[in-house]
Amino acid sequence: MYYLITIVVYAAVDVMSCLGLSMQFGIGGVTNFGFIIFQAAGAYTAAILALPPDTANGGFQSYLGGLHLPFPLPWIGAAVAGAALALPFTVLVGRRLRGDYAAVGLLVTAVLMNLLVMNYKPLFNGDAGVAIVPAPMQSQVMTTTTTGYQWGFAIAVVLLAALVYWFLRHITESPYGRTLRAMRDNDKVADSLGKDLQSLRTGVLLLGGAIAGLSGAALVSFISVWSPAAWTYAETIVLFAAVIIGGRGNHRGAVLGAIIVPVGFEESTRLIANANPSLPPNLLPSLQWVAIGLLVALFLWFRPQGLLPERKRVIALPSSAAQAGKPSLGAPTDTVLSTAGTVVALQPLAPPGADDIVLRAIDVGRDFGGVHAVAGVSLEVRRGTLTGLIGPNGAGKSTLLALLAGTDNVSAGQILYHGADVTRVPAYRRARLGLVRTFQLASEFKRLTVLENLLSAAPGNRGDSFRGAVAGRRYWGKDEAAAIAKAAALLTRFGLESIANEYAGDLSGGQRRLVEIMRALMTDPQMLLLDEPMAGVHPELARRIGTALVELCRDGMTILMVEHELAIMDEFCDPVIVMADGAVLAEGTMTELRDRTEVVEAYLVG
Amino acid sequence: MTIFLASVGFGLITAAVLAIASVAFTLQFAVTNVLNLAFAAIMTFGMFVTYWVNQAGVSVWLGLIIAMAACAALSIVLNLVVYAPFQRRGSSPITIVIVSLGMALIIEFGIQAYVGGVNVSYTMGQGTTYKIGGLILTTVQLVIIAISVVMMVAVYALLRYTKLGKSMRATAANRTLARNCGIRTSRVITTTWALTGALCGLAGTVFAIDIVSFGPTSTDLFVVLILAAVFLGGPGHAYGAMIGALLIGLSTEVSAAYIPPDYKYVIAFVALLAMLAVRPSGLFGARA
Repeated sequence: MYYLITIVVYAAVDVMSCLGLSMQFGIGGVTNFGFIIFQAAGAYTAAILALPPDTANGGFQSYLGGLHLPFPLPWIGAAVAGAALALPFTVLVGRRLRGDYAAVGLLVTAVLMNLLVMNYKPLFNGDAGVAIVPAPMQSQVMTTTTTGYQWGFAIAVVLLAALVYWFLRHITESPYGRTLRAMRDNDKVADSLGKDLQSLRTGVLLLGGAIAGLSGAALVSFISVWSPAAWTYAETIVLFAAVIIGGRGNHRGAVLGAIIVPVGFEESTRLIANANPSLPPNLLPSLQWVAIGLLVALFLWFRPQGLLPERKRVIALPSSAAQAGKPSLGAPTDTVLSTAGTVVALQPLAPPGADDIVLRAIDVGRDFGGVHAVAGVSLEVRRGTLTGLIGPNGAGKSTLLALLAGTDNVSAGQILYHGADVTRVPAYRRARLGLVRTFQLASEFKRLTVLENLLSAAPGNRGDSFRGAVAGRRYWGKDEAAAIAKAAALLTRFGLESIANEYAGDLSGGQRRLVEIMRALMTDPQMLLLDEPMAGVHPELARRIGTALVELCRDGMTILMVEHELAIMDEFCDPVIVMADGAVLAEGTMTELRDRTEVVEAYLVG
Repeated sequence: MTIFLASVGFGLITAAVLAIASVAFTLQFAVTNVLNLAFAAIMTFGMFVTYWVNQAGVSVWLGLIIAMAACAALSIVLNLVVYAPFQRRGSSPITIVIVSLGMALIIEFGIQAYVGGVNVSYTMGQGTTYKIGGLILTTVQLVIIAISVVMMVAVYALLRYTKLGKSMRATAANRTLARNCGIRTSRVITTTWALTGALCGLAGTVFAIDIVSFGPTSTDLFVVLILAAVFLGGPGHAYGAMIGALLIGLSTEVSAAYIPPDYKYVIAFVALLAMLAVRPSGLFGARA
């Protein structure tokens, strides 16, 4: 009977920790190889909060605290400790560090912490750990309680795991959860759309840490001992294996994985070992690790989505979408989206005045090692223009665009946006100011649908924060509906309603470019920086995009567009800036540029 | 002062072993783009190949050569069967890191399943003990340091003067461009796996000689030292890894003379974490 209770409790604990990891890794894309230490920290905190001072029991073990607090305070403390421990790690998962480097940092930290704990006796009683942790609401340890109490405990822990599941689902299926998944699929792009990666990653680390801490508390209350040897980084790999095998990005998958890998594996090896006592003691545990390694590799190869793949979030378009849902649209875009005005006006309606400079670069430079990719570029982009940027390969066009958008940092010079210096303003904040870029390479959020791609970029959704997500649909439902209406109108405008609920990763190249442009438009930009938006797009579609861009500019938007196709420049762009060797060579209308020999030599006939 | 000098001696040996491993790891990462966390497990394989050969009555030094060949072969196979297919499919770097952790488990615990959990030692003499200006070193330890120095010079010469070395650097800098320039990158990559795999076997054997008594899990902590040295010098920078290994090797052993030796790794870890947080491209990397 006790065996059965043990399995139930272990399963619930493993489910909780896999859910925490699933939130970090599957939803947020943060590979936390140090996950286990959060569980350990929670367990230790729960232990020392529940234990009497360490002078009790003859002082045979030493530990901090010993506050002898009543349940549930030790468990709450464990969750807080798990989250608090995550704080110093947030520096590792910030904006700048590559995911695999951050993972190495977290792995190393986990090993370091384990080492410290094992050796620092006053704090954690060294490698002996802490024992006789009392069971909740009891003065004795779990094994000496009644079977009825133990069953009650087991059921309570299962309910707690169910609550964690429900809560994480609640968060994941909110606009905030969608933003996390967008960051997971492509963090650079999420950054360029105004998402604060540092704060998002801090959020998932804290949330996952709190859940890990809670699961540790449940475990330590049950087994009544806390031993550092049980929390080696290899245990984290077991949890990763569980999440990968069960299915990433999907909390049901984490539950299934927890039941298959940590529970199923450990129990089956124990059963085999008990049945064959003659086997060498190290053989089965070793083979178990080999099997986990094999399973991880095989699953990542044959079924990377896991046993239960991430469910597609199908969102119905409002039925009025076909009539271009006007009411919810913002002022700058609604005229654009009306299907009537298909006549192309090549000139902005009002001639821009001198104070109408939206974006200005002053002597901007960027060096890579000794190479001056961009050197001393000064340019001005006026309101309402569709400015073209051309130049031979390697001229520094894309680098310049990245500098203007803030996805790369200048080595020299200044960037002014609406007259304000934004040179040191990070990309996500420039995006929030209305300065938004697109990318040359495919940059869709692959495992989000087309509609979700668009929705993820909508600014000001009240559900796009942890607090908003907790508050629930009643709090953010209105904003979401408005965003859906806006996205539906865009989809109608570009004739893509039929693929609204397809995964963006499954689209053709041309469709992806459209999704990216629509997604940028969802942010209500004042100025768009487009990097070859028509590359690889069918000429007819390219014309439609060009027409739409001209309309946007007529209505007050400003666009700077890198493009190779001179026909497009001829038709849509005025003025056009020519770059070569990292510097601006000339600026003017295409007709003027064709008369200038240095331009023709550098590019037009090159 | 004596304690200080003695600990410098230990530090030099640790640094010598660490330098071989770190340079191999960083070269592997630079050229193949695989952050191979199975590296330490392959080292373990190397130390046991030497052990098995040694058990058959052959000298450790000959065993070392065989271990280098065995680890080169294992590395090539690992790349051909596992890493290269994942890379061809366009898996993300983090997927490959997780796969490499899986490989580490398979190799390390495969060895443990085979040899059991007990520690073993090579059958070899330590040679005469020398006192050189306060440093106390045995012949074997001097040989380890000499091997390491020769290796560093060889790697430098390879990268600086040979066609293969230049091809490796070109592949590391930009694989597609290198291929378009006529470099047979797939062959360069396979050769890199062979070379770094051999160095890995060498590192594993000299590590085992250095720590004397070893088991299948002996490299568990060492891999973290390798990562520390590699990231300190800047991932992918061979000379950075050399300096990183020297700094980590000396700082851990010298600090062990003054603080409880159990904490000696803490300095390495703190250095690594500070580096990742402040300057992820390392001491010698380009500024991020």
